[in-house]
Amino acid sequence: MAQKITEYTFIRNFAPRYKIPVPRHLSENSTISEIRRSLEMWGGAALVKPDILAGKRGKAGAVAVVRNAQEAVKELNRISGIEISGSLPRGSYMVEMIPAEFEIFTAITYNSATQGPALTISLNGGVDIEEASNCVDADAGSEGENRKKITIPIDIFEGLDAYQVSDALQQLSFPQNLISSFSRVLTAFWDMFISTGMISAEINPWRITPEGKPFACDFKATLDEANYKCKIPGIVYPEYPSNVSEFEESMAGWDKLSHQGQAHVSDLGGNKILPLLFGGGASTIITEILDIEGGSPIFLSDFGGNPPYERMYGTAKRCFDHYLAHAKLLLILGGKANNTFIDITFQAIADALSDYCREHGPVHIPVIIGRGGPKLVKGFLIITQLMDQLQIPYVVFGPDSPVTMVAEYAAKLVNGTLHREASGNAHNTETPGGSDYEG
Amino acid sequence: MHIIPKHQEGQIMRAKQLSDLLKKGDRVAVSNITGREASQVTEVSQEYCANIIGGWALGKGGQTIKTPQGSIHVYATFEELLRLTPKEKHPNKILIYSPPDAVYGEVKEILKYGAGVVDTLYIITEHVSVEVTAKIYRLCLAAKVNAVGCNTLGIINVHDHVRIGAVGGDTPEESFKPGSVTIISNSGNMVNTISSYLASVGMQVSFGISTGKDRLILFALRYFLLLAEKDDKTKIIVLYVEPGGTYEEEAIAWMRSKKFSKPVVVYVGGAIAEKTNVSLGHAGAVVDGKMSSAAGKKTLFDDYFGVPPYDPAKKYRDMADQAKSLSRGIRVNILHHIPQAVDLITQVLHIPKDSSNFRPLKLNPWFSDLRELGKELPAKISLSRGTIPEPYKSQYQQLRKGFVDTMVRQPMRSASRASANDGAVPRIYGYSLMDVMRERSFIAGLILYWTGSLPENQFEEKLAEMTLTASLTNGPGTISAQGGKLSASAGNRPHTAMIGTLASIGTVHGGNGAKAVSFLLDIFSKTSLLNPYDKSFNPTPLAYEAAAAFKKKKDAAKAIGLEYEKIPCLGHPVFAKKAVNYDPREQVIYQFIEGNGKTQVFLKFYHALAEALRENGATSRVMAVNVDAAIACVWLGLCWKAIIAKDMTTRRAMDIPFAAFALGRAAGGVGEFLDHQDYGTPMDMRIPVQECRSLTRSREMGKRVLGKGV
Repeated sequence: MAQKITEYTFIRNFAPRYKIPVPRHLSENSTISEIRRSLEMWGGAALVKPDILAGKRGKAGAVAVVRNAQEAVKELNRISGIEISGSLPRGSYMVEMIPAEFEIFTAITYNSATQGPALTISLNGGVDIEEASNCVDADAGSEGENRKKITIPIDIFEGLDAYQVSDALQQLSFPQNLISSFSRVLTAFWDMFISTGMISAEINPWRITPEGKPFACDFKATLDEANYKCKIPGIVYPEYPSNVSEFEESMAGWDKLSHQGQAHVSDLGGNKILPLLFGGGASTIITEILDIEGGSPIFLSDFGGNPPYERMYGTAKRCFDHYLAHAKLLLILGGKANNTFIDITFQAIADALSDYCREHGPVHIPVIIGRGGPKLVKGFLIITQLMDQLQIPYVVFGPDSPVTMVAEYAAKLVNGTLHREASGNAHNTETPGGSDYEG
Repeated sequence: MHIIPKHQEGQIMRAKQLSDLLKKGDRVAVSNITGREASQVTEVSQEYCANIIGGWALGKGGQTIKTPQGSIHVYATFEELLRLTPKEKHPNKILIYSPPDAVYGEVKEILKYGAGVVDTLYIITEHVSVEVTAKIYRLCLAAKVNAVGCNTLGIINVHDHVRIGAVGGDTPEESFKPGSVTIISNSGNMVNTISSYLASVGMQVSFGISTGKDRLILFALRYFLLLAEKDDKTKIIVLYVEPGGTYEEEAIAWMRSKKFSKPVVVYVGGAIAEKTNVSLGHAGAVVDGKMSSAAGKKTLFDDYFGVPPYDPAKKYRDMADQAKSLSRGIRVNILHHIPQAVDLITQVLHIPKDSSNFRPLKLNPWFSDLRELGKELPAKISLSRGTIPEPYKSQYQQLRKGFVDTMVRQPMRSASRASANDGAVPRIYGYSLMDVMRERSFIAGLILYWTGSLPENQFEEKLAEMTLTASLTNGPGTISAQGGKLSASAGNRPHTAMIGTLASIGTVHGGNGAKAVSFLLDIFSKTSLLNPYDKSFNPTPLAYEAAAAFKKKKDAAKAIGLEYEKIPCLGHPVFAKKAVNYDPREQVIYQFIEGNGKTQVFLKFYHALAEALRENGATSRVMAVNVDAAIACVWLGLCWKAIIAKDMTTRRAMDIPFAAFALGRAAGGVGEFLDHQDYGTPMDMRIPVQECRSLTRSREMGKRVLGKGV
């Protein structure tokens, strides 16, 4: 999961370092006298905002204008507990209100069209980064006065200089008297982007004061955790409370311990199938099928990448400890692996399952397995031997059975099992079909 | 939509044909070749197409990677590889398996030293930063080198029978047969999966391409499509697409403008991942624009195709203008509809099938045991076991034939499989100890305790008992008897005589039985022997094979003056000067078997082996099959059924004969002790000082000066 940062981290940790002008600010822990003094210095009014990993804070009623210390304290408290789109803030903060003649939107992101970074400038503040990132010179045809947005590619080696920005601003008919100062802050924006290993960053809006001074008034960015530059001494990136479940947090910590074999999960809120899935592509497809067919997957997972034994054991153990007691079916499914040694994977899963049964008692839910890849048969023998010993019901498919059909079957089986339980073990009245199930 | 300018396109497209990306005759070098994945992939690739000329790994120069096609040399650096490899073998394709932080450095080295030689890089490494990827793109563009990845799995050119990377896993032959579909996939794994799906409608593969799915994809979809369109062997293109990036949007704009001539079947996955925080190992699966989401890409393709997604319930044959409407292709909503959609395209556009031998996609359970649940579910869900296809079936049979080394483990501090006691009835493997006492013998109970099963008949009991009797003694001079006597001589209690005896046996004295079992397991693991008393099983040919193998090894070792490993339990020097040797204790066991009109395959094998070794000249006489061999053979016979049922580990089978010898000999040690205690004089095992010789000259300690330290 990529690390995301928002305005509060930006104004505290990043903007000062790169000399990007931002409004003055106070944290929610400030004293009343500090708040009062600040309000006086800031002209008698300020904004209270939540430090939250969600957009559209203003529309959600989570940004308030305050004009005195009592009001500020009240709003700082209220807003620090406000929920936006299922997310909770880490806290709240107060920023100076910046009077503005106009607003500007800017974003720097890696652009697949030019295979490098690109800067987008829009005179219409409030444009989403999504709309800026996927095109270069999107409105190149609209020359002249009406041109409101421009995207310019940045040379990854040479970087962005004020002349390039100035040229772009000229094309947007940006006010001449502001070009120099705004060009400088945008090169500072680039310096921050490239020096901190960001994948995308957005300052939206810049508010330009009547005196022509720009202020970065909101910010969001995604850091590239594969880039060493984002690990900055002294900066601890914020963890947002409602963002991850306990399970996700546990798995994320486990995932970070090693680069050998990934342990990516995301809770889906399902209550039937516990899916241990392998391979990014296959995992998504399988989960989509489970979802469509009513298999109610508990989480989305991707445990591929040729995990060593200890890695796979730890991953399986965490999944079992969190969810096996509530699951109605255990699904171990992936496509035909290229590199992953199936015997190692299955030995680790078998040992984790065996240990789980020892600690928590027997498991009676069916286990459905589908896999292909190196040392497959040995892997199958290991896990079926264990399930025979533990008297666990199972069906195991090889790579000749399509993964999506196995997922479809798992969903039907779990629903069939639940239906049987609900109807008091009704007798089978259908004709024998053997293995001619065709999805 | 921004399109790369024409003048840059030429630089990007160094490859003019799909086969320029990989063809027969290309020479591949692998970075970080000694890594876990790289070395394994190298071995499989060599077996499949032998196109790897060498590799390098920092600090590993001089090593080799062994493959069935010969060793691959590991150089310290790429520069060294070029310097020490003949020019005609210089690599034009590079496979990069280096860790993420090392990739940038590797690429710079390759471009610096490989200018004019290297034409394409395949970067397998995952988690390369976006910044580095962007830099690699620029460097490769300037050097006119194509780069595929990062996070690609490679490519396979099926018609040329060559691959680079890990496409096809460890069995590329199995997933890929030459045909007319080119698969271009964001997911490496899906290249294999889609290929095997296509086989279900008689379609096979021309090229299987894993593009990689990082934020930036170095070789964009558009260029792959351009090359696939030019490829004569490619009639249909199947795309597997994930969210993220604008490569599809760009490709579709280009396809529209160029009136792309080949039909495309596309599956767009990843919609569910967009709702979550998970990156699925594919860093690019982060939506960065409306049309880069799964939904956006589906819309883009549907608009391009001009037809709704494939619907298996729809009767496409009834569509009047189907050829026209499907000429661009179609999108599928479910992955396993890809073959049906491809089949539809082949029919509508009159594309010939690649194979007439195919079977439809369906579930085939290899193993199934739903237990009680199975009886209660509708038969359609309660699947019965299907057929394991080749080559897995043979592997399965081979593995089933093999023996187990370990069992599933659990903490056993307060648990035992071997014994139980509910406070009233002590049990051995479930049998009441009192029942065994009443109805069977000590030896039957012992066999039960050691093997988990009671002997089937008195013949087996008697055989086992004979091994214990044979182990009791070999006279007072054996070192184990000396242990008992020493204990008595020192004035100890009888149990210490057992300890003394047991301390005097080991791998050299008495331990040969374990080696004999290991030797026999090795030979008989390759047979289908079920019953060790099977008279119809003739072990003589096996004995001659083993004798020939031994002679070969012996001759080779002798030729260069080396020691060679002897066959365990043969050649006991009881009658060393005679042409035919026998160990009288072994003979009693052997004759008991013969006298009962039975055979014991392992012991018979040993006798045949002694004969065969004389016949092939490995020895000048018939060696004695010693009593250790007899003990080993008897107990291996008792264990055999459990071994082949995988209910017993090979380690236990090797330990039991030694335990049998130790048990008999410990009892014998007590006999020596009792005798010695009654009739021996105190300390009589002591050797007088004057009879002891020193083999070391006397030396003086020299004087130390205190306070000077050592």
